[in-house]
Amino acid sequence: MTGERWPLTPRERERYERQIPLLGEEGQERLLHSSVCIAGAGGLGSPVAFYLAAAGIGRIRIIDSDRVSRSNLNRQIIHAEADIGRSKVDSAARRLEALNPDIEVDPRPLHLTEENVVNVVRGMNLVVDALDNYPARYILNRAACMHTVPLVHAAVNGYCGQVMAIIPRKTACLQCAIPHPPEETPPPVLGTTAGILGCIQANEAIRILLGEGTVMGDALHVWDGRAGTWDMIPVKRDPACRACGAGGKG
Amino acid sequence: MKESVRVRAFARFRELFGGTIEMDLPWPATVRSVIRELEKINPAGLAELVDNEGNLKKSVILMINRERIMGPAREDCPLRPGDEIAFYPPVAGG
Repeated sequence: MTGERWPLTPRERERYERQIPLLGEEGQERLLHSSVCIAGAGGLGSPVAFYLAAAGIGRIRIIDSDRVSRSNLNRQIIHAEADIGRSKVDSAARRLEALNPDIEVDPRPLHLTEENVVNVVRGMNLVVDALDNYPARYILNRAACMHTVPLVHAAVNGYCGQVMAIIPRKTACLQCAIPHPPEETPPPVLGTTAGILGCIQANEAIRILLGEGTVMGDALHVWDGRAGTWDMIPVKRDPACRACGAGGKG
Repeated sequence: MKESVRVRAFARFRELFGGTIEMDLPWPATVRSVIRELEKINPAGLAELVDNEGNLKKSVILMINRERIMGPAREDCPLRPGDEIAFYPPVAGG
């Protein structure tokens, strides 16, 4: 970030008056001039999108190829009964615009691929991994590493979830942490688990955008909602990693 | 002769095997000795930890004394008395 300032309007000062004492006007200006891509408008993407929009992230790009179904609604709280059948990104964009009409929402109804990921990540200050499968997560992780865009990963299953921040060239990436993906069976998920992990993703995203860095790099932070515990699983950068190390682009 | 180690199981593995287990093992012991003890705790649950050959599933994260153990033949890693062995199954949902 440069030292450039973008003075807040009176309306913005009013909207964000309870967080400006925390972030400073300069911090709020930074958020308003930040662009974040949220990959996935599901259980994790819902709280991430709500809280980033509420905090005043200026441009939110949201990606998902699915349509809303009734079985999504126990956890994907950005969608409602009336949205069933609607594109998830359109449903999410409507809700975000209702929450904060002063930000720009860029809904993209697409399935993430090696071909389109560059256009998805390019120009973003940060990317959020709110996806539900590892092949797409690895595509996003590689693109974030290649274009040096910070990435905040999370995943959930039942009462448990994991979150990790990736600062390319500084911390371990998702593939260093999890080189072999777990089996993909649609896991049971409680909405609160996705809510907890998604809120932490949004919190880390805001701190990284503000230039405060992250306390969630080089470790998987693991939430167990039955035991009520957070555990930390240390992760090291793998020099031979296919995504961020010599095993990849070099 | 027996020696003891501490086993920590995270997330789904905590549900299957218990959170922290103080385990007495016939010595010398390897990670495989721990897997055998976990099988006694929950024979059905073992299928989530190991593959058909009885080796740790590739996706399972194994740590000894908070150091990640990578690569093949992780099960044959020798243990020292008092070691802490931890297992975590990465999750996938979103």
